[in-house]
Amino acid sequence: MPWAMAGMAIAAITALLLLFQNRRLGISTGFEDVCSLASRTGYFSRASLRDGRRWRLPFIGGLVLGGVIAAISTGGWQPTWALGMLDDTLALEPAGKLAWMFAGGLFIGFGTRLGGGCTSGHGIFGLSNLEWPSLVTTICFMVGGLITTQLLYRVVLP
Amino acid sequence: MTALVSLILGTAFGFVLSRSGAADYTYIQQMFLFENFQLYGIIGTAVALGVPLLWLVKRRRRTLFGTPLHVEAKPAHRGNIVGGLLFGVGWSICGMCPGPIFVNIGEGKVYALAALAGALVGTALFGRLYTTLERPLRLPPMQTGTGEG
Repeated sequence: MPWAMAGMAIAAITALLLLFQNRRLGISTGFEDVCSLASRTGYFSRASLRDGRRWRLPFIGGLVLGGVIAAISTGGWQPTWALGMLDDTLALEPAGKLAWMFAGGLFIGFGTRLGGGCTSGHGIFGLSNLEWPSLVTTICFMVGGLITTQLLYRVVLP
Repeated sequence: MTALVSLILGTAFGFVLSRSGAADYTYIQQMFLFENFQLYGIIGTAVALGVPLLWLVKRRRRTLFGTPLHVEAKPAHRGNIVGGLLFGVGWSICGMCPGPIFVNIGEGKVYALAALAGALVGTALFGRLYTTLERPLRLPPMQTGTGEG
């Protein structure tokens, strides 16, 4: 899908979510929603979580469903371990890929919740709503990603 | 009704993320290597169009169902910087940000389940450490949280 079309669709979805539900687009709080299903103490017992779960959990279910539909409509759905560029440079076994992803996931979960949002909450909604903490966070996660990928593909792996 | 609207919008979002390359490991790396500008184009277009669209929606002060519409701004704190940097590292390692983790699971990428498990453990760890990090990182009171989204 061309970038202009994808960008327009994402802006429309963001606006519709606000127009229909009075909700800010944001995914990473969904991690807290899931944690709050298992733990009802301290940080995960906040009232705002219980309230937000009602729209965010179905939204996340939709993300999974959207992935399924996209896969079915482009050659069929099947489980895969293919990992593009990483396979070309560092051929990890499935167990290695799971460990790699789990390690990265730790940074994603801890970082997004400490930063108060992710690419959608800060990068799309926050910037569209002209909030300066979102600009600061967006610059920081772009910088963090740039440094890591540049180090990995220009220094460590070659 | 809430659940149905959310499910439909989420499905549309997931489909777009999948088809546009935003949930593709190689696209993410090429973005950070400045070899492919697809994802910069997507975020740039989404924000450029999002600014006037959100402004228009907020002016209504009512949702389409007639209930009050009010956007609460995210709080500012030092976690924006530290958390942003840490998340960037994770985004690069996995080639997925939070939305695409779920999209990749739907696409059948098995390893995305490990990224989700890691993200949940990372979130649980953050919840445990909130009171410890609250003062040094000037986080809002725990009931407020660092920002929703």
